[in-house]
Amino acid sequence: MITNEIKAKIRAIVGAENALDSTIECFGYSYDSSFVPMETKNIPQLVVRPAAAEEVSQVMVLANEQGIPVTPRGAASGRTGGSIPLEGGISLSLDRMTKVIEFDEQNMMITVEPGMRTIDVYNYAAAKGLFYPPDPGSWKYSTIGGNVAENAGGMRAVKYGVTSNYVMGLEVVLADGTIIHTGGKAIKNVTGYNLTQLFTGSEGTLGIITRILLRLIPMPKMRNTLQMMFPQLDDACHTIRDMLLTGVVPATAELMDRVSLEAVARYRKLDVDPKVDACVIMEVDGDTKEDLKKQADRIETIAHKNSVLEVQVAASQQESDEIWAIRRGLSSAIGAMAPTRLGEDISVPRDAFPETVRLIRKISEKYKLTIAVYGHAGDGNLHPSVLCDLAKPEEAERAHHAVDEIFAAALSVGGTLSGEHGIGITKRPYITKALGEAGVNTLKLIKQSLDPKGILNPGKIW
Amino acid sequence: MKNTDKQEQYLKKAGEIVSQCDRCGACLPVCPLFGAKDIEFSSARGKNNVARGILQGVIQPTPAAMAVLNFCLLCRTCVDNCPSKVQTDEAMIALRQYFAEKNGTPGAKYKALGNLMKNRTLVKFSAGALKVLRKTGLNSLVPHGMAPGEFTRKEYLASFAGPAALSGSVPSSPVQLAKKAKAAYFRGCGMHMMFPDAEKESIAILRSVTDLQLVDNVCCGLPHLAHGLRGDFLAMAKKNIALFEKADVIVSDCASCSGTLKHIGAYFADDPEWKDRAAAFSQKVMDFSEYLTHIGYTPRHRVAAKLTFHEPCHLGRGQGVKKQPRELLKAAGDYIEMKDANVCCGGAGSFHMDYPEVAAAILDKKRINIENSGAQIVVTECPTCLVQLNKAAANSGGKFKVMHISQVI
Ligand SMILES: Cc1cc2nc3c(=O)[nH]c(=O)nc-3n(C[C@H](O)[C@H](O)[C@H](O)COP(=O)(O)OP(=O)(O)OC[C@H]3O[C@@H](n4cnc5c(N)ncnc54)[C@H](O)[C@@H]3O)c2cc1C
Ligand code: SF4
Ligand code: SF4
Repeated sequence: MITNEIKAKIRAIVGAENALDSTIECFGYSYDSSFVPMETKNIPQLVVRPAAAEEVSQVMVLANEQGIPVTPRGAASGRTGGSIPLEGGISLSLDRMTKVIEFDEQNMMITVEPGMRTIDVYNYAAAKGLFYPPDPGSWKYSTIGGNVAENAGGMRAVKYGVTSNYVMGLEVVLADGTIIHTGGKAIKNVTGYNLTQLFTGSEGTLGIITRILLRLIPMPKMRNTLQMMFPQLDDACHTIRDMLLTGVVPATAELMDRVSLEAVARYRKLDVDPKVDACVIMEVDGDTKEDLKKQADRIETIAHKNSVLEVQVAASQQESDEIWAIRRGLSSAIGAMAPTRLGEDISVPRDAFPETVRLIRKISEKYKLTIAVYGHAGDGNLHPSVLCDLAKPEEAERAHHAVDEIFAAALSVGGTLSGEHGIGITKRPYITKALGEAGVNTLKLIKQSLDPKGILNPGKIW
Repeated sequence: MKNTDKQEQYLKKAGEIVSQCDRCGACLPVCPLFGAKDIEFSSARGKNNVARGILQGVIQPTPAAMAVLNFCLLCRTCVDNCPSKVQTDEAMIALRQYFAEKNGTPGAKYKALGNLMKNRTLVKFSAGALKVLRKTGLNSLVPHGMAPGEFTRKEYLASFAGPAALSGSVPSSPVQLAKKAKAAYFRGCGMHMMFPDAEKESIAILRSVTDLQLVDNVCCGLPHLAHGLRGDFLAMAKKNIALFEKADVIVSDCASCSGTLKHIGAYFADDPEWKDRAAAFSQKVMDFSEYLTHIGYTPRHRVAAKLTFHEPCHLGRGQGVKKQPRELLKAAGDYIEMKDANVCCGGAGSFHMDYPEVAAAILDKKRINIENSGAQIVVTECPTCLVQLNKAAANSGGKFKVMHISQVI
């Protein structure tokens, strides 16, 4: 319960208009982009929208004293229910903190507030000739704080890595209101435990991230796109493997299976050659045209060795855009194929990619459900999408079994439950299988020491 | 049909639409309302999920929930940007109808507005209409008191016409097919009540290219449809269908009218009696600049004025008419494209009366974009936009003037 007295104190900290408490306003902060069903009990009692770390700190002091649950929130584009306030209390929305605090060109670093949208960080750096590579599919609307809290990945991860590869330091408000600073601009830094990496990917359960120091790299001068059609999924995967083994690293390598291709074809009124079983879209980048051509030639040679049916190297920006439009339209095209889509996110060692897809196909047959598989083949991150109608109880049961078995399949080949979307609520039941009891207990010990009252994002991860 | 069945029907329709929402959030940064008031319920995601919450019993259909569903410009920017193409505007219209059925009325204000627009005698004599507006407290429809700040074509030519305007140097068009086709003018209530000079120019232009039919039509019904007076909308649609049966083309110089009329066919798709007539009617509707471009009209004059275009939501996103008005303006003056020309001005029917502060915040962004374009005249094709832009012009201290497209071409 948040009493009127506490509400008044919070309003005094953040300003009256930045603490919303009507049911209809608070309702908007009770869901995210996951398939967690809406529930009345998930509606927060108060939505607090601070503008600075000091305000966050003061709010946390109060919440900690009173034992009020606090769930941080960016843009609620998360796919695992991370920002849903399972125990009501405060939804702490960081979307008003959108400033660039410092741009340090000499050290190629930028310090930003957590509510800045990912694409704005990219654009800000790009305008100065620098590159912030992580590009989750949601980058036009997700916040950088949400990306750090989920350790988000993106299509460029093959070559450039994920969010954590760029986070150099953080300002974090702990559960009791203490403000700490981790990491810093020194590239080499082994002083103490690596708290920066601990908070990155902590899903809002260990502290509120209020400031982020990011490393930038020089912007590649040119990019080009290739699209390849293969008769077998294995051929596509082997092409990617052979390519990486010989040192050709594309910026992205996206794979789509037959079901995914059919979905896009239907959506965009295209025809897919019946001989095609998989498609790979790659982006290469570099500093000169020759650079790009060399990479494209080598990829083509490797693809031909692996029986590629068709290779298209974009000849213009427009052709490149057209190819990418297929990949970008994929998620919604698949979503449109069925009333419900359970879009999952598993990650496996790269060489286990074909095996995992085979296992998923078996699951699809076993449960008589269409499962589209696409993903970031370059880094072993797959998004199997189970197409079903959850309104039909019998089908819903089959779908849930299928999802269980997909996770089991990922673990059986040495993979993990999440490549980029985190655990949140939806994958909680599987975490012990993935980490073992002792592993989960270790996580809980860390949580216990940083948030002894358990007020930060309760009900998540385990 | 029983009233409860009707309620069910509208809820169901909304449910089918909003269940497609993936809750991704792509609509947040693009929704003009979210840009002015950045809390979740302003956005399409917010509203679609309020609807979903009601359908699933997670929240109650309270007046507060209804207010959220009314808080939408119906501008379709979200639809354009949504990866799943969720038709948020249609869901909001269905839900407003649901609430109107549930409450037995759309609320006193919308009813008064609806009655006014239904009443031809009032609309016909704009002076009388303005009196009613004043009486019902709807006079904020009209900028700065009761007189719309209309900049007439005469004044325009007097201010900007150099020798070029007098010489009539624009080459005449080679296309001549429309003279035989019987075009009829659809008289929009907003244009007629508030911008009679512009209406006169539209008619003059149409007369110069076709043997124009003038029909005593009734309101297109959009205000009624948008606020839960669906019955009125359908009744007026039938009247209009019957009235225009002899025309080959129906031309409207109001983007909201032409947009609505083009959709009438869809509203009668399940009505065996009216289906074909309604479809035939809708197929004949053309927007003013769409029609003029189609028949190869060339502007009467070219003047040395810097013109920019504000694209009404119901014209660009609603009908895909984007190129045509710009082409006409390029031939009529020194055309400059402004930033975010297609972003809603905040007018949106009666939205600016219901939420004056939010509408003003949205409009202010528009004003800045117009000022930055350096244009002397901002041109548009919708009376609500004209009202809003007139307010912006006043706020800019007279940096630019506002005109309907028929007054400059
Ligand atoms: C269409 C679509 C495509 C997507 N593609 C990708 C993709 O390619 N890669 C990928 O990794 N993800 C992807 N996602 C998932 C999602 O966008 C990411 O997880 C993103 O990082 C979430 O950011 P957000 O700002 O929306 O955070 P939210 O969803 O609001 O929150 C996510 C978690 O972070 C916590 N949190 C948020 N801000 C803070 C903060 N400042 N301090 C502490 N904790 C905080 C929340 O409590 C919650 O646990 C996609 C989602 C969609 C809808
Ligand atoms: S963009 Fe479309 S699918 Fe995404 S939240 Fe908005 S309405 Fe829903
Ligand atoms: S129609 Fe316009 S105002 Fe309404 S939700 Fe969509 S973008 Fe926002």
